[in-house]
Amino acid sequence: MLRFALSRALSLALSLVVASVVIFAVIEVIPGDPASYMLGLNATPEAVAALRDQLGLTGSLPVRYFAWAGGMLTGDFGISYTYKVPVADLVAQRLWISLPLALYALALSTLIAFPVGLIAAARRGSVTDYGIMGATQLGIAVPNFWFAMLLVLVFAVNLRWFSAGGFPGWEGGPLPALKALTLPAIALALPQASILARVTRSALIETLSQDYIRTARAKGLSRRQATTRHGLRNAMIPVLTIIGLQFSFLLAGAIIIENVFFLPGLGRLIFQGITQRDLIVVESLVMLLVFAVILVTFLVDLAYAVVDPRLRRRA
Amino acid sequence: MIRLENLTLDIHGQAILRDVSLDIEPGKVTGLVGESGSGKSMTALAMMGLLPHGASTTGHAWLDEGDVLAKSEREMCDLRGNRVGMIFQEPMTALNPVKPIGEQVAETLVIHGRATRREAIEIARARLARVGLPEERFALSRYPHELSGGQRQRVCIAMAVALNPELLIADEPTTALDVTTQAQILDLLKGLVAEEGMSLLLITHDLAVVAGLANHVAVMQAGRIVEQGPTEALFRTMAHPYTRKLFSASHHKPDRAKQAQGAPLLTVENAVRDYPTARRGLFGRPGSFRAVKGVSFTLHRGESLGLVGESGCGKSTLTRAILGLDALQGGAIRLQGQDIHSGPRLASAIRRRMQVVFQDPYGSFNPRWRVERLVAEPFHLMDQRPHDIANRVASALDDVGIEPAAMSRYIHEFSGGQRQRIAIARALITGPDIIILDEAVSALDVSIRAQILDLLARLRAEHGLSYLFISHDLSVVRAITDRVLVMRSGEIVERGETAQVFAAPTHAYTRELIAATPTIPADWQGDLHA
Repeated sequence: MLRFALSRALSLALSLVVASVVIFAVIEVIPGDPASYMLGLNATPEAVAALRDQLGLTGSLPVRYFAWAGGMLTGDFGISYTYKVPVADLVAQRLWISLPLALYALALSTLIAFPVGLIAAARRGSVTDYGIMGATQLGIAVPNFWFAMLLVLVFAVNLRWFSAGGFPGWEGGPLPALKALTLPAIALALPQASILARVTRSALIETLSQDYIRTARAKGLSRRQATTRHGLRNAMIPVLTIIGLQFSFLLAGAIIIENVFFLPGLGRLIFQGITQRDLIVVESLVMLLVFAVILVTFLVDLAYAVVDPRLRRRA
Repeated sequence: MIRLENLTLDIHGQAILRDVSLDIEPGKVTGLVGESGSGKSMTALAMMGLLPHGASTTGHAWLDEGDVLAKSEREMCDLRGNRVGMIFQEPMTALNPVKPIGEQVAETLVIHGRATRREAIEIARARLARVGLPEERFALSRYPHELSGGQRQRVCIAMAVALNPELLIADEPTTALDVTTQAQILDLLKGLVAEEGMSLLLITHDLAVVAGLANHVAVMQAGRIVEQGPTEALFRTMAHPYTRKLFSASHHKPDRAKQAQGAPLLTVENAVRDYPTARRGLFGRPGSFRAVKGVSFTLHRGESLGLVGESGCGKSTLTRAILGLDALQGGAIRLQGQDIHSGPRLASAIRRRMQVVFQDPYGSFNPRWRVERLVAEPFHLMDQRPHDIANRVASALDDVGIEPAAMSRYIHEFSGGQRQRIAIARALITGPDIIILDEAVSALDVSIRAQILDLLARLRAEHGLSYLFISHDLSVVRAITDRVLVMRSGEIVERGETAQVFAAPTHAYTRELIAATPTIPADWQGDLHA
């Protein structure tokens, strides 16, 4: 198991190196010089050159790559062109909203999806199952910004249980902050929970038709015991895969919901960075997200091995 | 005493069992024989209360004074694994892959509240040792994937007998196993019955297996027991025509004239095939496993050559190399002097002269293609697709006894035997010299198998085909081949004329294989042969 973890960790490190080279190369080759863009159309070549120098855009590619990658490793992400503050600070600020929001939404989605999927699988073909399948279909189909606005209308405007948007920060304690994140988390969790419930249902149905479930029943386990003792863990592999994908998506993919609720999260920061050609911000954020995705994949891999002993030997 | 009384079963209105009555005596082995679909497994599942949805039963299944069919699900849960244990055909998938074997055996005890977890593990250890898996060599913490098929079946048996049930139902317990493993498992079951006084209901399609083990035999056909009685008496009389049909099908020898030996067609010379194994350590080099160790043989034109051996002996690996699917690490394989491994890929001119029929008639067809396209597929090996494809497909189908109108149908509309005929038609379509039959009749019922063997014999005579017939089933190889190769651990340990090898095996392993093959005592069959 330890060897498995080490080998996965090695592959994680290699993936990061490859990803950093690719990201750096892509950003370098796309047209649009940040210096001339920032200075406008009337800038003199001398002024542009001076700004380029100031921004660290001169020097050979390898030198710039190592400076950038080395900075990343030490937490120095460079200075934003547009905000004139260290990118690390910007990211940290935004991460304190986006990360809790993603975890909150993921927790909600998992907590809803598991029991729902389990019930649907256990009562396959019943009215309950059809009801759940219909509801999850709807959950996937409804655009989440529309659902978010509905939540605002009902719970913020009419019932006044929550505020309609904004974020009070964590300084005032966790409760007000979590409260502000609740509606956005629900809006984010709805389609994710719907997908996850369907995956859980189909994985369980597949598992419950396996021979070893029949063996368990022949040993005297009730249908429920066979499902919980032998079915659930075997059905986990596809479910873990989806959870991993969903977390990566939630971290940066919440941009529309962040806009609906006026939350200054990572999604909005990327969007602003792109529109303002703030390449340092974009580069750093993309790298950070790649890191997050690879890290989640690593954790999911480890979880696979915990769940299924057959995967432990394969390195 | 367990007694089935007029058990009748319908599933979604379809008749499955009709008036099945059977006494299962304590401490005895009762054999239930029949072909697939005859209702043997459903009889067992009815006794376990594990029938599929939509099942409705009438009649009784008495276990002592209680009628199993009248019990509630809760009562059945108490009964299953406790008073009635069951093992199934497919040991590879019958165990939960994510739980250690000790825990799985102990679960039977824990679930019935017969022991604490700690005591249950102790009992599991003893039971596993009893079925031949002593803890010194098979730690309780092992997972199913670390065991072979025979070892897994032993774990299943340990689970089923953990609580000393009165009745053990074994549904084709050895069908998926090699012949020597089968002999060991049957021995184990016999010993358990003798020592612990439980009854065994042995369900099988193999008459020879029941002949060697059962005290009482019931023959089942289309949901009815057509004949039953004490084993020896039943075999001696065979009162019912179906019993006789089953018996003669299982001994069927197709009419085949010994053909004059033609010129060498396929020569395998010192073929060596290595497999990479898992890396040793993070940066270690992968090891290698030699699956085929310098095998040589020649297949002549018009000859039927058998290749027998147990799973893992290297016969499938060798087959893949002959078909050009894997490269050799040494030696050569030649088709009429032409090295088939000379290029990076097998030349289509060679491929179309060698065709293959696999074991699984269900998995070896694309379910979304019509039969015409399935059978015509090998035409892509021709330099030019012929323009009369439909005619050729029709004649190939006609050759194997499938009406040409079947061309427009999908494969799921056919039975297992018909599918295997279609697979043979697909192999025939390019007019090959050699057909490799890789366990091609192993998944078929005996009567269907007899028909396919006849078909193969006829096709060989008509088309002058050569067969390489790969099987673990000695009786089939004996019936259809001229010469036989016996393979073990990657080597050919014995070769010769089939009749001679079977009559007087020289290698100890061949003798072991032949001895392990269940047979019906010759003097029981007197009336039929007379």
